[in-house]
Amino acid sequence: MLDYLLRRLSLLLFMLFALTAFTFSLNYLFPGDLLTNFSGQVNTSFSQSQLLEEKYRIEDNILVQYSAFIGRLIEGDWGVSLSSGQTVSSHVALLLPATLELCFYALVVAILLGIPAGIITSAYHKKWPDKVISTLTLLGFSIPVFWLALLLIMVFCLGFGWFPMSGRIGLLYEIPAVTNFILLDIWLLDFPYGGQAFLDALHHLALPTIVLAMYPTTVLTRFTRDSMLNVLEQNYIKTARAKGLNRRQIILDHALRNALLPVIKQIGLQFSTLITLAMVTEVIFSWPGIGRWLIDSIYQRDYPAIQGGLLAVSMFVIFANMLADLTHSLLDPVSRNQSHGKV
Amino acid sequence: MAKFSLYSEESNRSPLSRLWRNFKANHLALVGLWMFIGLTLLAMTAPLLAPYGIDQQHSDALLIPPSWHDDGDVHFILGTDDLGRDVLSRLMNGATYTFGLSIVAALVTTVLGVVLGTLAGINRGFKSSILNHLLDITLAIPSLLLAIIIIAILGPGLLNTVWAIILALLPQHIHSIRNLVVDELNKDYIGAYRLDGASRTHILFRGVFPNIYEHVVVIFTLALSTAILDIAALGFLKLGAQPPTTEWGAMLAENLGLIYLAPWTVGLPGALLFLSVLATNLVGDGLRKALQARKAT
Amino acid sequence: MVTRMTRRLNISQRYKAITIGAVATLILSACGEVPQTKPTSKTQGIVYCAEANPVSFNPQVTTTGSTIDIIANQLYNSLISIDPVTAEFKPELATSWQISDDGKKITFKLRKDVAFHTTDYFTPSRTMNADDVIFSFSRLFDVYNPYHFVHDANYPYFQSVGMDQLIRKIIKVDEYTVRFELFSAESSLLSNIATDFAVILSEEYAMFRASQDKKHLFDTLPIGTGPYKYKHFLRDNLVRFHKHHAYWKHNHAVDQLVYDITTNNTTRIAKMLTKECDITSHPSATQLEALSQRKDIVVDKAVNLNVGYWAFNTEKPPFDNALVRKALAHSIDFDKIMQAVFYGNGIAAQSILPPSSWAYTPQAMPYYDPVKAKQYLTEAGFPNGFEMTLWAMPVSRIYNPNARKMAELIQSDLRQIGIRTRIVEYEWNTFIERIGRHEHDSVLLGWAADTPDPDNFFSPLLSCTATFTGKNPANWCNPEFDLLLTQALDTNDLKMRKFYYQQAQEMLIRELPLVPIAHGVRFQARSAEISGAELRPFGGVSLANVRKGTQ
Repeated sequence: MLDYLLRRLSLLLFMLFALTAFTFSLNYLFPGDLLTNFSGQVNTSFSQSQLLEEKYRIEDNILVQYSAFIGRLIEGDWGVSLSSGQTVSSHVALLLPATLELCFYALVVAILLGIPAGIITSAYHKKWPDKVISTLTLLGFSIPVFWLALLLIMVFCLGFGWFPMSGRIGLLYEIPAVTNFILLDIWLLDFPYGGQAFLDALHHLALPTIVLAMYPTTVLTRFTRDSMLNVLEQNYIKTARAKGLNRRQIILDHALRNALLPVIKQIGLQFSTLITLAMVTEVIFSWPGIGRWLIDSIYQRDYPAIQGGLLAVSMFVIFANMLADLTHSLLDPVSRNQSHGKV
Repeated sequence: MAKFSLYSEESNRSPLSRLWRNFKANHLALVGLWMFIGLTLLAMTAPLLAPYGIDQQHSDALLIPPSWHDDGDVHFILGTDDLGRDVLSRLMNGATYTFGLSIVAALVTTVLGVVLGTLAGINRGFKSSILNHLLDITLAIPSLLLAIIIIAILGPGLLNTVWAIILALLPQHIHSIRNLVVDELNKDYIGAYRLDGASRTHILFRGVFPNIYEHVVVIFTLALSTAILDIAALGFLKLGAQPPTTEWGAMLAENLGLIYLAPWTVGLPGALLFLSVLATNLVGDGLRKALQARKAT
Repeated sequence: MVTRMTRRLNISQRYKAITIGAVATLILSACGEVPQTKPTSKTQGIVYCAEANPVSFNPQVTTTGSTIDIIANQLYNSLISIDPVTAEFKPELATSWQISDDGKKITFKLRKDVAFHTTDYFTPSRTMNADDVIFSFSRLFDVYNPYHFVHDANYPYFQSVGMDQLIRKIIKVDEYTVRFELFSAESSLLSNIATDFAVILSEEYAMFRASQDKKHLFDTLPIGTGPYKYKHFLRDNLVRFHKHHAYWKHNHAVDQLVYDITTNNTTRIAKMLTKECDITSHPSATQLEALSQRKDIVVDKAVNLNVGYWAFNTEKPPFDNALVRKALAHSIDFDKIMQAVFYGNGIAAQSILPPSSWAYTPQAMPYYDPVKAKQYLTEAGFPNGFEMTLWAMPVSRIYNPNARKMAELIQSDLRQIGIRTRIVEYEWNTFIERIGRHEHDSVLLGWAADTPDPDNFFSPLLSCTATFTGKNPANWCNPEFDLLLTQALDTNDLKMRKFYYQQAQEMLIRELPLVPIAHGVRFQARSAEISGAELRPFGGVSLANVRKGTQ
């Protein structure tokens, strides 16, 4: 296990290195002034640019520049956003939790719906529940997320008026930002006010969560189904059946454990898809998350912000994948013996 | 079918025709295939078929609802938008951009994927390990995000979107094709072929490719559905095709302001997008199932 | 037990426009509740959906209408204001004023006991006095004012109307009296002092920030005298104001005022329908129909002094050639624009001044004639056309509800005379900044007046000084034109002023540094429960008297 951990750790370091090297090279790839791309400060006076050049080591070779870049990243100095004039790290700290919160709830919904649905389809293989659910997943798999969001808004927000269509909470609720995870922050408030706010926040969460959960739910359903069918074909299941166990016993006691192992890994992989879909969802539902900010930054050609946003999102995706990998191997010792670097 | 036939006819059929037979049995997949063919033809011939030009403005016919509506006009079957442009013509031309360009992007991705994936598959050792690590990183980043990064560097635009999507889809495809090649190379018949003294090219072209091309087609359909969704999503986010290009995602975003006044200008492009992704997925799914079924027999 | 104070202020007071146009807004009073420190339910506040982030919290340093709407009348007061009905000056922070016979000295008597905001970041120790007034105005032109150079000494409105060149000094006569001494008598000074830009800031707060060495925070964390005080601003998200309990005018402001920043037009209307917004700025003409069918939503309409125009960068060839500008102007089908962009809710421009201005004289406008346009273009030496950029502002304003769409219409019209156009869009603040640097070839923009004085349409927009401050989108500096403007300002004789402005209007249409396209009607959608949201013919929105609930 230790050996395995070390190997994973070295892989993680390598990935972080490649990612930071890429982000660093973005400074050169982006159009615009190099110093501005680095610092986010425009129209600097001569003495200021001297200071900045010193700080960003523009005069030195690329390796020194890169190490200075890494140093700044670790210190939390991610530059200044061109459009807002505030530090990129403060934006990320404020916005990333909102995105994570949304993704987390969507993932929970996807797991709670997708896995049971997958199990049902495999249990009733080629019977009507299988056909219905499979068709539904195919539809859900094919629907463009932004169109789905618009349809839901048209029906449930504008048509019936059941749900609000933007933001995390009614704006008149003044929630002091402590963790930036809104439900947690509300939790810290007094009861009567906090209670109302909590309900309102859930109300706001409903539609974005459903939209965001659609794709991962279908993926998990299909994956669970395939994995279950695979397991159900194996000899030990046939043995169990021959022993006279009924379908419920076979599926719940024997097949499920083995079938869910690959699903766990898939859940981790879904997180990265979720973050991307969240970008679209955030734009439509005016969710104040990192995706909307990143896309706005691209419109405004706010290069320091794009860089910071990408770095934060990609880093998060990498960590999420790594975590899924670790959980998977914790539960499934066989996978630890996979050769290094093999995917 | 004759019960007592001496020679089993079916098993003598070519693998391809057996595949077709299995595929045909799946009605949904067949419907998908027809839709797919229809869309492809439309994408190729849309400018010729469309009744009006995409930028032709009829200033006397703004926001006319579709023709089945009471206020509709038969001259504009699907109505007009706020500049008096015929929605049907714009949607038809949109097929060229959204569907046609997606096919191009998916084809390029698949071809490049086959070349690079094969190279990755036949190489072993250090080189392969480095490549796999790099693939690992890019695999961790979803294609739409990667496309957004590339757009951030190249700047918004339809052509840039296509490049971005090709680059973004490539790692996944290199990876899956490499796996296909490696799996195939490890099979006994290839070993026997190698022992016979066949050269590397021989093994690849005579041994591996004929056995994996059907899977490559499945991979192609996956690439296609992702490409359609990504091109449209980028168009919708105003990072891809710019109005007045009739890409469906961009059209949807452009008409969003008319959602109360003329819901059809928002609903129709979305519906078409949905249908084209659905068709692609039906074909891909059908093909995959047919392959499984053939393997089972 | 909760004590309720019910007060009736002014019952259904109807405004009728005399000089400016028609404003039909009902101001209803409602019951005021005993202030509570902590909001316990949603009803005690109002959400206003605004179309852009505020660029600053000090109206002195910006002319962006969306920003002024949010900050000016809510956080601050001016010395005097202009009555929207009679267009006469009204006392605000100044109780009275006196102009000397030569017109070069103006003395203001100040109101006593005007409290500044008490916030988390500053507690004032005194009420407003002459020092605050002197500080606020000297910042604009006095290089010795410690704050003059904060923000790169950029005070666009005051610089474009030349106010910084006009005031010689401001003297503190006593604690509550100040005297402005001018270099020359200028007829528009009082109306400039009455604009939303000329607010009174706290001198004590300024010194406090200076002692902290954090002068840059002075304009982002504001202290004023208005009915609301600053609480919180989250970019792209919201601005939160709380009630200023010690407001000098009245105590019936709502507890909380939240600006929901929603740049997208459609989303703003949708939020109105889902009741997430109580008031929405600038609903677009396409959606008015959908809104007016609803019983719970009221659309207010006000004639507004504004103009939407298409300006050419006259310093950049080929736009330095008046023939080219003429050709471009003749190639556009304005009727189509009026229909497709304004949906009939606008007035086609006959001059740069709107018909409701007293100096308005209709001009012979360029009309749609592609053949003639082509002819002019050939004459100018471009028989095969050329390529140009057309910048379309990304936000919806009264004078141009949908610049993108207008740009597409113009693009297709220009194609017919062989000109290839590329439409350029940026986020609003970036857009303004880049236009200020004159990066464009041509731009679709507009101007909403801050005062009823006609000079407001000329000096801030097309004078040479405006070119230097980056407020002149046509980049047009014509000494002859400037002379006309100065002559018009130097006299108090209304007839003479009208004469000069008539000449100025003629000259504009002759030279066409910009093509006036339309005068928009200002709309505001509000929930039927809301009353007292004042839409004014000039300047920003005032929410001082806004109420929710019907009583």
